[in-house]
Amino acid sequence: MSAKAGIAPQWQRRELLPVALASPLLLFLLAFFIWPVVQLLGLSFGESGFTLENYTRLAQVPLYRRVFANTFFISATTTVLCIFFSYPVAYLLATVSDRTRKILFVMVLLPFWTSALVRTAAWIVILQRNGILNSFLTSSGIIEQPLPFVYNLSGVLIGMTHVLMPFVVLPLYAAFRNIDNSLILAASGLGANNRALASRIVLPLTASGVIAGGTIVFMNALGYYITPALMGGPGQTMVSMLIAQNINTNLNWGIAAALSVVLLVLTLGIFVAFQRAFGMDRLFSAGGGRGASQSFGGAGGRSFGGWVAALCGVLVLLVMIAPIVIVFPMSLSSSPFLKFPPDSYSIRWFQNLLSDPKWIKSIWNSAKAASIAVPLSVVLGTAAALGVSRTRQRFRVWLDTLFVMPMVVPIILLAVGLYYVLAPFKVLGNPYTLGLAQSVLGAPYVFLTVRAALKGFDPSLELAALNLGASWLTMFRRVLLPAIAPGIIAGSIFAFIQSFDDVVLALFLTNVRSRTLPRAMYEGLAHEIDPTINAASALIILLTIVVLLINLLLSRRTTNA
Amino acid sequence: MKNLLRTIAATAVLAAMPLAASAEEMVFASWGGAYQDAIRKAWIEPFTAATGVEVIEDTEPEVARIRGMVDTGNVEWDVVTGGNATLSDGMAHGLFEKITPEMVNQEGVIREARSDYGVPSEIFSTVIGYSTEAFPNGGPKTFADFWDVEKFPGKRAMPDKPSTVLEAALLADGVAPADVYKTLDTEEGMKRALDKISALKPSISIWWNSGAQPVQAIGSGEVVMALGWNGRFQAGVDEGLPLAMSWDQSIAQVGYFMIVKGAPNKDAAVKFLNFIIDAKNQAEFSKYVAYGPVTEAALPLIDDERKARLPSTTERLANTLFLDIPWWGKNAVSAGEAYTMMMQQ
Repeated sequence: MSAKAGIAPQWQRRELLPVALASPLLLFLLAFFIWPVVQLLGLSFGESGFTLENYTRLAQVPLYRRVFANTFFISATTTVLCIFFSYPVAYLLATVSDRTRKILFVMVLLPFWTSALVRTAAWIVILQRNGILNSFLTSSGIIEQPLPFVYNLSGVLIGMTHVLMPFVVLPLYAAFRNIDNSLILAASGLGANNRALASRIVLPLTASGVIAGGTIVFMNALGYYITPALMGGPGQTMVSMLIAQNINTNLNWGIAAALSVVLLVLTLGIFVAFQRAFGMDRLFSAGGGRGASQSFGGAGGRSFGGWVAALCGVLVLLVMIAPIVIVFPMSLSSSPFLKFPPDSYSIRWFQNLLSDPKWIKSIWNSAKAASIAVPLSVVLGTAAALGVSRTRQRFRVWLDTLFVMPMVVPIILLAVGLYYVLAPFKVLGNPYTLGLAQSVLGAPYVFLTVRAALKGFDPSLELAALNLGASWLTMFRRVLLPAIAPGIIAGSIFAFIQSFDDVVLALFLTNVRSRTLPRAMYEGLAHEIDPTINAASALIILLTIVVLLINLLLSRRTTNA
Repeated sequence: MKNLLRTIAATAVLAAMPLAASAEEMVFASWGGAYQDAIRKAWIEPFTAATGVEVIEDTEPEVARIRGMVDTGNVEWDVVTGGNATLSDGMAHGLFEKITPEMVNQEGVIREARSDYGVPSEIFSTVIGYSTEAFPNGGPKTFADFWDVEKFPGKRAMPDKPSTVLEAALLADGVAPADVYKTLDTEEGMKRALDKISALKPSISIWWNSGAQPVQAIGSGEVVMALGWNGRFQAGVDEGLPLAMSWDQSIAQVGYFMIVKGAPNKDAAVKFLNFIIDAKNQAEFSKYVAYGPVTEAALPLIDDERKARLPSTTERLANTLFLDIPWWGKNAVSAGEAYTMMMQQ
């Protein structure tokens, strides 16, 4: 090999390949995210001619400051709660046998696979004044008077923590799995007690997982609005709710755009501060498929403290699963109002679900949308993650920031902006277009999880394989892909859920013929409490359990995915 | 599995496809649920039978989507339905076709309900619904009773939007119905209404944002009374929930059918609006949902038992206040901001 020939491929790897890998997602987001959203944000400076009127209104009316404060407070509290409750669950997941872990994983993923709307409705039944929890507490004499758990701050925090927790559990579990057990053994051997183990080894080594998960939760929480709208009171009004209200009901797009601009600027400020404090790479350093020589908890029995933590983990899991479980008896209630326990049972809602073509068609439309959203998100996100991990530090920060932006922009803005961009092409109102739009939200998840997996991957393995004569493709298949597979799988699960639970984009981009299941459910909840949604969710949950169980129990693969 | 799903879905799609319409067609969008079911049975099906015009139904006619359609010249809907807010916002942005007397004759319509940009379809009222379990010997009758926590203790539910609540607060505070909007036009009057609501806040446990919530909340015992829509309360009563309504004071609103600007099937849309405004068809609607007709002539065609469920009987209209659409068109933004702030404090 002459020196010259040796330089060329290296130059390619250094400069051209990363660009080529990252550019599809870059172009995709420019066309379907930046362009539509920027157009809409422009409205904040007036719809005809330049004016700062909308911004002065935000500054003058005290309501807006107050709502911003609420939003940050709720998001931060939710993030802390998610982290706090994820620790025992992640610890439990990391320290049980493979078989048990698979079943527990089903419990973690199940709430995740259930429509957020359904879970919210179920929580209301559990938490309301005459709900299951209050009935239990009063009848057992723990409290005299029913407590207000819902339609206030506690309702919002319970609902949002429940929805967002898996985002912390998964990376945290991966971090636990990466703790080399010999560290624990060595520390114990040198006389460290439990507290020292926790504070000197477990916490520092899992911090990266927490920071990654916590950031995702925080950014998601900032833009939340369905859960706070249904489970909170007026004191919990969040910015996105005001944005949605101004777009949808008041048609006051100038104020909505100004609110969005301020929300974006503040969020990006936090994001940059996070980067300065921890370095962007911390966000991606969770998980990864590096098999430690002996995984954490893989040997030896539990200490007393370990048992307490595991028990807490079991309790948290039970709480996570509770709203899912009560959907079943509720779906068999004969009353059209959500009441638990039901006065009498009937299968009328299931009959309605299976005799009404509207529902069957909507399930099919959801599947069509996901069939575009998931593959597209996986391909774009994975390629971009591979590309970005090889670019220079300076560009990396910019690209990282850009690629996670869709997570922080309120979805309603994207929905309206996309509507305006896509309408002239006459492609609206079919589920495949919706799938394309959902990829804007799905691809960043895949990007994040694959970036995280790549953190644990040593690039010299790649060079070694190539030097030993493997073609690039063989190297990819045998070396790189196995290393990032857990990241791809986690990311595709996120992308699927994003697609299967999306209401906001579906409301704008589909019509009656292309209506998806979440949209049909939302219509069932928003205008009439149509119990058919409970039957629909019960069926979805059953199907999910079956698929997950078959998948988990029969899978012969033993990756740490 | 996949094939099975595909087969099921294909069959379902076939079953759902309307027969190829060689005739005229139009697209109608409304708010789903029991309301749209009633429209289908009372108006759409008979209209198709009478004229041969096929009506394709859609849902969620949010004004934001209508605006998107009009702005991009991509109008999919011919007729949409909405309340006062939709009508006034849409008018401000030029989203609806003007409806002239030549197109639709609205002479028989109750005067307070008329509009140049929509045809009124039904009247619904915001009333007090209360739990018959909490008040077995008669519940609150007037808005003043609703505010009286000594006489009628217990938690309440209220709409999270100011329209109808500001009016109810002033009526409870002793303002005469004729002076309500004059009072709200002044800064002191607005403050008076907000303070009145503020004073009740310790007893308000739910600020609702969807019509089914207040019914659900009374049914479950979460609250003992609520301000809500009569049709929703009626649905709860019909389901056997322990609740009743008071008709002694109410605030009436009108539902409208609008033609979207640039509607592709405007002729069919005009035919449809003429059909629903006809007295006989107006009377038919209340068979399916507890909302009243907008034409005087329809009332004699409705039997007494059904009349008892409707807001637009002559004596009920006498003690109702009609929501002032132009006033809300002007003041929606500032009233909304002030109300949301009041709820937060």
